[in-house]
Amino acid sequence: MENEKKGTSIVVTSGKGGVGKTTTSANIGTGLAMLGYSVVVLDADIGLRNLDVVMGLENRIVYDIVDVVEKNCKLKQALIKDKRHENLYLLPAAQTKDKTAVSSSQMVELVNELKENYDYIIIDSPAGIEQGFQYSIAGADEAIIVTTPEVSAVRDADRVIGILEANEIYQPKLIVNRIRQDMVKRGDMMNIEDILDILAVKLLGVVPDDENVVISTNRGEPVIMDEKALSGKAYRNIVRRIIGEEVDFLNLENTNQGKLSKMMKILFGR
Amino acid sequence: MSNSMISIKGIADGVYINVEGNDYNKIKESLEMKINENIEFFKGSKLIDVVGEELTLDIKTEIMLLLKYKYDFVLKNEYMILDREIEKEDLIKNNKIPNIVEEGMTKFVHGTLRSGQEVSYNGNIVVIGDVNPGAVLRAKGNIIVLGLLRGVAHAGIGGNKNAIVAAYSLLPTQLRIDDIIVRPPEGDSYYKYPEIARIIEDKVIIEPYLPNK
Repeated sequence: MENEKKGTSIVVTSGKGGVGKTTTSANIGTGLAMLGYSVVVLDADIGLRNLDVVMGLENRIVYDIVDVVEKNCKLKQALIKDKRHENLYLLPAAQTKDKTAVSSSQMVELVNELKENYDYIIIDSPAGIEQGFQYSIAGADEAIIVTTPEVSAVRDADRVIGILEANEIYQPKLIVNRIRQDMVKRGDMMNIEDILDILAVKLLGVVPDDENVVISTNRGEPVIMDEKALSGKAYRNIVRRIIGEEVDFLNLENTNQGKLSKMMKILFGR
Repeated sequence: MSNSMISIKGIADGVYINVEGNDYNKIKESLEMKINENIEFFKGSKLIDVVGEELTLDIKTEIMLLLKYKYDFVLKNEYMILDREIEKEDLIKNNKIPNIVEEGMTKFVHGTLRSGQEVSYNGNIVVIGDVNPGAVLRAKGNIIVLGLLRGVAHAGIGGNKNAIVAAYSLLPTQLRIDDIIVRPPEGDSYYKYPEIARIIEDKVIIEPYLPNK
């Protein structure tokens, strides 16, 4: 059985809501597709679907994950091809149902079917640790934990890592989202070391707090396609680390400083 | 029913006796019943140890004396019943070891305990790893953390005021020993050396456990 599978399924989760799971899922999915992999991003947040909006595919939804599970349609019919990338697909959540519409075993079956045809399955998990979270992790081979530099988010991340371990998903990787280097410098925000000290997991990447993310999210174009944005660069690095490349961590020093220092950076090469 | 309180385990060197509960009379009754079922077999057996989660030293000594004099058991370590009390008193008097709970049963936890995880045990708990905020340890005996203790630790549950909590870094959200609850003072105090918490005169006292540091 194990050998037949082709792809890898990765669940993006956090425990706490609003830390950027959906944005991260959209960007990672898009990034992997940009590198030529075939990717399905799966919105597991039934009842509160967002991933379609963030990817700008909302108006193309005909069938959703519940239709697939209930066999109202074929899996292929529910997959929405991305506007810009040939090999990127979205499996949208249902909006009119709730989390009881899908069970863990149905999810495992669905993800296994997807893995036979695609390189990466990115599962965007709902917030919380209830049923929606449980079926989201059921089909996952690996996990990416998203947190922000806040004590509450880190606490929830810790809880989730514990539950993942109990479900035999070991060594999740961490993305610290929305960090503000100026605040860290002043000692007003948790720094990466503080977070890693508690969570003791491998760091996959650090994404700076960047207004470009808000702009691109509202436009339905993942920021990873924005060549200039620092957050886009951070996501591109994250994707390269997912496929196993060694990439140095971004220098976020100058993110929130004035134009002068940016000029200096350009003129004198950092 | 009462037989389930006692299990006797034989190994090459002799027998172990495992005891449940802490009521001497009940233990004695079911132990004697068990031995009398097969008196010839047990007579003159070599006794290695008596163990049990709730077993106190007094009951243990009583059981050993009973077995020795009534059923001719040979005790592997005679001093276990003769010298132990004296030895312990001496050590405490001379301040050689801290006045802590008699060893008893211990649960070892390997790895980090994360938020929402809980370990309860009718004895001591040793964690080889960190205890993160949101995790809870509950022990009848002592709690030792070979790492950072940032969660909640409750030692000495059920009236054990001699219980201790010790950690490489003792930064608990809350610390409880028996029925005394303390929390760390406001403000971050991060000590780089191992510390031990214990009750002295109804107050929880925290101090380095290496007096020379």
